Amino acid sequence: MTAQSITQVLGTCIVAAPAALLAALGIPSLFGEPLRERAAVRWIHGVMAVGLLSAVAMLAVMLNAGQTLVEIRIGDWVGIETEHFHFHVAFIFDRLSVPFVILIYVLCGTIGKFTSRYLHRDRGFNRFCVFFAFFTLGMVVSSLAGTIEVLFLGWELVGLSSALLVAFFHLRSNPVRNGLRVWGVYRIADAAFLIAALMMHHMTGGGDFTGLMGTDAWPSGHATIASEQALIVGLLLLLAASGKSALVPFSGWLPRAMEGPTPSSAVFYGALSVHLGAFLLMRVSPMLDLSMGLRIAVIGLGLLTAVYSAITERVQTDVKSALAFASLTQVGLIVAEIGLGLDYVALIHMIGHACLRTLQLLRAPTLLRDYHMLENAIGARLTHGPSFWERIVPDRFRAWFYAVASNRGHLDSAIDDYVTAPFRAVFRWCDAMEHRWTRFLSGGEPSSGTAEGPVD
Amino acid sequence: MRSAPHIAHNAPQLGTTVADPDADRLRQLAHSIEHAAHLLPSQGPITVFVHHNTLHAFEDLPFEEGLREGVRILGCEPFLTEDQYREYLVSGRIRHDDLSAVLQEDLGDGAGMMLGFLGTRFSLRMAMLEHPLRSASSAELQWAVAESDAMRRFLGFVHGPTKVRTIAETRHWVMRDLRNENGGHSPRLDRVKTHAQDLFALFGRATVERWSESTWESFCLHLLWRICLDGARRNDGRAPCRRNVPLRHAALIERVTGESCDAPVNDLMIRFCAAYLDQGFANWRLPHRDQGFFRSFAGLFGRAGSLPDRWARGLVRELRRIEKARITPLESIDESLRLLGVDESERDAFVLATLHALPGWAGMIWQMETNAEWTMFPAARGSLVEFLAVRLILDRLAAAYAARRSIGFAGDPADLRAAFADRIPATDGFGPAQRAFLVFQLAQVRGWLPSEIHALPDRQWDQLLAETESFDAFERRRILHRAYERRYRNQALDAVATHAGRRRPWAHESSSNRERAEVWSGFPRIARGEPDASAESENPSVQVICCIDDREESFRRHLEEVDPRCETFGAAGFFGVAMYYRGASDAHHRPLCPVIIKPKHYVNELVAFTFVKEHKRRADTRRVLGEASHRFHQGSRTFLGGALTALGGTLASIPMVARILVPRATAQVRTLLAGLVRPPVVTQLTIERREGDPGPDDPHLGYSIDEIAMIVERLLRDVGLNDRFAPIVVLFGHGSSSLNNPHESAYNCGACSGGRGGPNARAFAEMANDPRVRDLLRSRGLGIPAETTFVGGYHNTCDDSVTFFDLDRLPTKHRSRFERICDAIDEARRRNAHERCRRFESAPLTLTAEAALRHVEGRAEDLSQARPEYNHATNALVLVGRRWWSRNLFLDRRAFLQSYDPDHDPDHEILTRVLSAVIPVCAGISLEYYFSCVDVKVLGCGSKLPHNIASLLGVMEGAASDLRPGLSQQMIEIHEPMRALFVVETTPEGMLAVMDRNPVIGRLCRNGWVQLAVIDTVTDQIRVFQDGEFRAYRVRSDAMPSVRSSSEWYRGWRDHLGFAVIEEPQPS
Repeated sequence: MTAQSITQVLGTCIVAAPAALLAALGIPSLFGEPLRERAAVRWIHGVMAVGLLSAVAMLAVMLNAGQTLVEIRIGDWVGIETEHFHFHVAFIFDRLSVPFVILIYVLCGTIGKFTSRYLHRDRGFNRFCVFFAFFTLGMVVSSLAGTIEVLFLGWELVGLSSALLVAFFHLRSNPVRNGLRVWGVYRIADAAFLIAALMMHHMTGGGDFTGLMGTDAWPSGHATIASEQALIVGLLLLLAASGKSALVPFSGWLPRAMEGPTPSSAVFYGALSVHLGAFLLMRVSPMLDLSMGLRIAVIGLGLLTAVYSAITERVQTDVKSALAFASLTQVGLIVAEIGLGLDYVALIHMIGHACLRTLQLLRAPTLLRDYHMLENAIGARLTHGPSFWERIVPDRFRAWFYAVASNRGHLDSAIDDYVTAPFRAVFRWCDAMEHRWTRFLSGGEPSSGTAEGPVD
Repeated sequence: MRSAPHIAHNAPQLGTTVADPDADRLRQLAHSIEHAAHLLPSQGPITVFVHHNTLHAFEDLPFEEGLREGVRILGCEPFLTEDQYREYLVSGRIRHDDLSAVLQEDLGDGAGMMLGFLGTRFSLRMAMLEHPLRSASSAELQWAVAESDAMRRFLGFVHGPTKVRTIAETRHWVMRDLRNENGGHSPRLDRVKTHAQDLFALFGRATVERWSESTWESFCLHLLWRICLDGARRNDGRAPCRRNVPLRHAALIERVTGESCDAPVNDLMIRFCAAYLDQGFANWRLPHRDQGFFRSFAGLFGRAGSLPDRWARGLVRELRRIEKARITPLESIDESLRLLGVDESERDAFVLATLHALPGWAGMIWQMETNAEWTMFPAARGSLVEFLAVRLILDRLAAAYAARRSIGFAGDPADLRAAFADRIPATDGFGPAQRAFLVFQLAQVRGWLPSEIHALPDRQWDQLLAETESFDAFERRRILHRAYERRYRNQALDAVATHAGRRRPWAHESSSNRERAEVWSGFPRIARGEPDASAESENPSVQVICCIDDREESFRRHLEEVDPRCETFGAAGFFGVAMYYRGASDAHHRPLCPVIIKPKHYVNELVAFTFVKEHKRRADTRRVLGEASHRFHQGSRTFLGGALTALGGTLASIPMVARILVPRATAQVRTLLAGLVRPPVVTQLTIERREGDPGPDDPHLGYSIDEIAMIVERLLRDVGLNDRFAPIVVLFGHGSSSLNNPHESAYNCGACSGGRGGPNARAFAEMANDPRVRDLLRSRGLGIPAETTFVGGYHNTCDDSVTFFDLDRLPTKHRSRFERICDAIDEARRRNAHERCRRFESAPLTLTAEAALRHVEGRAEDLSQARPEYNHATNALVLVGRRWWSRNLFLDRRAFLQSYDPDHDPDHEILTRVLSAVIPVCAGISLEYYFSCVDVKVLGCGSKLPHNIASLLGVMEGAASDLRPGLSQQMIEIHEPMRALFVVETTPEGMLAVMDRNPVIGRLCRNGWVQLAVIDTVTDQIRVFQDGEFRAYRVRSDAMPSVRSSSEWYRGWRDHLGFAVIEEPQPS
């Protein structure tokens, strides 16, 4: 067996494992005969083990053979040679995607194990497992994606499962409201992503990253498009990334996402899906070399987010929101590092941060016990002495900062007022017009079902 | 101003303004806020979790009245759902006998009242109880009539013959009277004929003689429905239709528009309350917190630069106006109520409803201002008033904004409610259609014919509607619940009476104290069987005093099974040692006694002198490690610190993965490592005070010898341990340790304020071993033999581990005896773990005892375990009395056991003392479980899975929600909500005397918040307390399964188990 064929088998395993999991959990659910708890748990454990082992083996084989780029193609689906247009499904294994996919398997595997006990006997156990399978598949696909369409596919699966997991406790109104909000932000990000993908196709005739970034392995690729094109596509991708990674001004959704069961909050919003935007930027990082404007935008947005969330974190009084903003601070920094061209630093930072934050979020319910233990060890109450910040900033400004931070920078209300409200107004207007039109068509009969006016 | 209230009260009558009416109104307002505050959840910070009656505020009312008030004010569920009870009816958990007995008892003389051909009131109600009759909103009803099977098929549970008869008779009537013109004439009959004609058209007039059975069934139902509807409509005027108009503006707007204007207000209030109450979690403190709730709120949101959300645009102006006009918070509430158009007569209710928009936070503010001086940051007095003031200002803004946006209302906010109330659809609620639907279903079940119902005189229609309506869902569930409780009560009382009767005969062999005493522990035969029955073998081999906790029931039972010569006692788990305790590695003193007691004494744990240096070194290491760890965690959330920690964060995956994959092994490694810095094991307690009054510092620590003697005497007399001491007496305090569990404190000992009772047991043992104390006791008539040694221990109810204290002081002569005791205890805890495991679905039923112990050890250390143990779930019974009549009775870990000897208590003083702790504590636990179980969403804290610790004080659900007191779904899932059944070994007079002496007990018992019975162990006659008197209880069944060991009875089964007798081992 050649190294070539070994990597092909391993690569297929890595991608197929979560797909099998999804099929095993999802198909019986479709027929109203969900798997029993024990069977579902066995599937999750098995698939995670297979995936993780394959990913580690892949790393070993590639290191051993000195390969830095392995590509697996699953068929050319559309090819219009005259237009230089083609569409195929490809997965690439390189210095970016292999560590990231190992991280995904470690965290998802751990969470899978955690969940099997934490959600034991919960009425939504099967639902959680199916979402979890969707999520894992989405993460694996987007991390290994060789073309922008495949990345988009994974990206969508992650978005869908994330929003559904936020709304996991759908019998209460807050999770549903916040889930919808997350979904709304993701739509904006997706729209930007899709436009960027179209433009890439338009410019290079295909969605392959190799076509865009050259065939050199990450991170040494160099892009082959014009600077202005890079700026436009890059800005669109930056918009997509900031929706997914909750960068300013979309940051409001991240703390709101802490509605689901603790493990889902931990792995998704604390560790994996929040990094997906940054991962996208890393994937296309060679493009940053082409446009100074783009580079500045990335660094600026990253730093802005980091500063914003570092300040906001200081006033959070509940453990999950605090961890959400703490996460965001680091994601902002990672984005800035990508902007600065520190690709390896960003990758290490990302992996380390994901592990640490997952642990912290999983332990979040132990906070009181930890505080108690630390108090006993230190022998006094845990207080925050006046920090550096408090010493240098005058009282009046601190109060102002506090107010802004406590309102989370008014980002959500700004989006509500300046984005959502105009949208709603337009659609309300369309709705009213449609009513008028139907009334006209139906000969002036009053339409029913409007909220306006007394029903009585 | 002092005398103002009296004058003011008269003022309106006189019609003059003798006193300032404003001041009077404000005083009234303050009063109604205070009143409302008492109806808020009374759970304080979660680190000191104390079980208490969730509806404590209504204890002055009889239980069921209290529930009704709870429903009205808190909007909670009072009972399980009707469907749930009906499932129990099917499964046999509720028996029909019990149901009819309870209904009979409830109706009294009214049971036999005839309602025309409709049958007796009893049978009507019974039909409504047995069958799931549906009620629905108008829209749903419309759908059911038009689309569902309701008009095609009789209800599934209608008795077959009844259905056949109804159809046949109706068919006959239709063909005879309705099809032709010759049925006679009356306005009513004409109406029915019109209906019939309609229906003929619908079903095919031509083929009427060939209609199939199913067509006739459907025809019959259609006709019945129309007749019922006519009847209900005709009688509509007489029984007024209810139309609910919500009191609060936000609720009203939500009802009309479907959009909640409370949500943004709640968001803001939650954030601010959390910041205001924060106990040091956030890095930045709320500015101007020391100036109170209102001022700090104004400081934050009343400044020009702050950009509030759209709905709150007027906030800055409003806050500035209030500040400028120097309006106090109370005046602001008064003003807001006026601006909102709240009538003076509505004020009480409105204030209450407004506070209940966020009951958890409001309740916590009230707790923090009234009852939390021991916390790091208590709230200033008046915080709740200021909270309400802020809330009302925000409510005003939000309501005005929502009204403007939804219906374009821009008038005076005072008229807002009127504008919206008109828009509530009249069909909302319980109208003629709903009443008709109920009669429609009842008619099917009871076999009432359309011809009969149509001819029903108006008077009887009235009666029928009144009957069905007065027996509403609450009433039905009330009766079902009584039957549910009655079933368990009768089983329990039967078991206790029968068991006591069987065990008693030995007691009559001789009346001498000595021999009767032998019977207590139930091993006299063995003693007699041994040839060299020395004095020692007559006495128990060991006496064990545990907490009364229901979790210790099985531990004691197994111990008695393992060593039949062992004798066990139950006492409140602080063992009478009320103290502030500080362990060698603790930072602070913590109270270890029931919440109702405020300890005066302080006890410290000191490291033995030999190890002081070592201790200091380790303490320093701990401090360094602690500080480093604190820095690390704080730092990981900041900008640069976070970056640094994240770069090395990959290492965090090692402990994470290890803890989740192999929790037990990881815990062992951790324990090993922690052993390097833990304080040395040899420590001492500062029991004896050296001088002066008790205090928290050195010479004042501890108790005087007199106080000590009093404590020891009291406990021994309480549990009835007056003589016949075993050579070794072990006391077990208990507690529980679990991970990832914000409610950890709730799992600890309730008698230690949610602390761990080990130090109490240890302190008591040391006290009782003091020779000076023994001398004092002997002079008071309590002779403890010199060879008897007390040993303190700690039982961890989560991992079932047991530790002993001060074993180095154990006399060497006791060594081998103690080893045997340890073996017995080890076996008992293994068996205990095994019995517990049957309840855990993730533990296979086939586990061995050894594996079961490993399983529970793993649970305690598992980060991902949402159910480390089941705590008090399933508790149902409290037995107070000597152990002999409950020994060897399998109680399924559902009983609190308090030892008490009535023979040594002629004037019921000891009983009063014992019950004044036992009844409130056990009732509190039982009722908290009851309410969290019947309504985990409102009275409990919902599912544990999304819990989020806020302000280090409590838990929220998800990102931001109200603070959730109560117990979680995972804690109550196997519980059966019932009021605790107390069986006390005393006379009815004795019990009544206790109720008179202690008003709390009197209230709980007389108002039926607990069930009460007394047992006379000479005649095993049980008397049940009902309607203010003790009535003799008749044993229904004296059949009881008999098994050789507990495991033989419980093995292989997860559900609740009945009572069983565990046979005494026969002497060989």
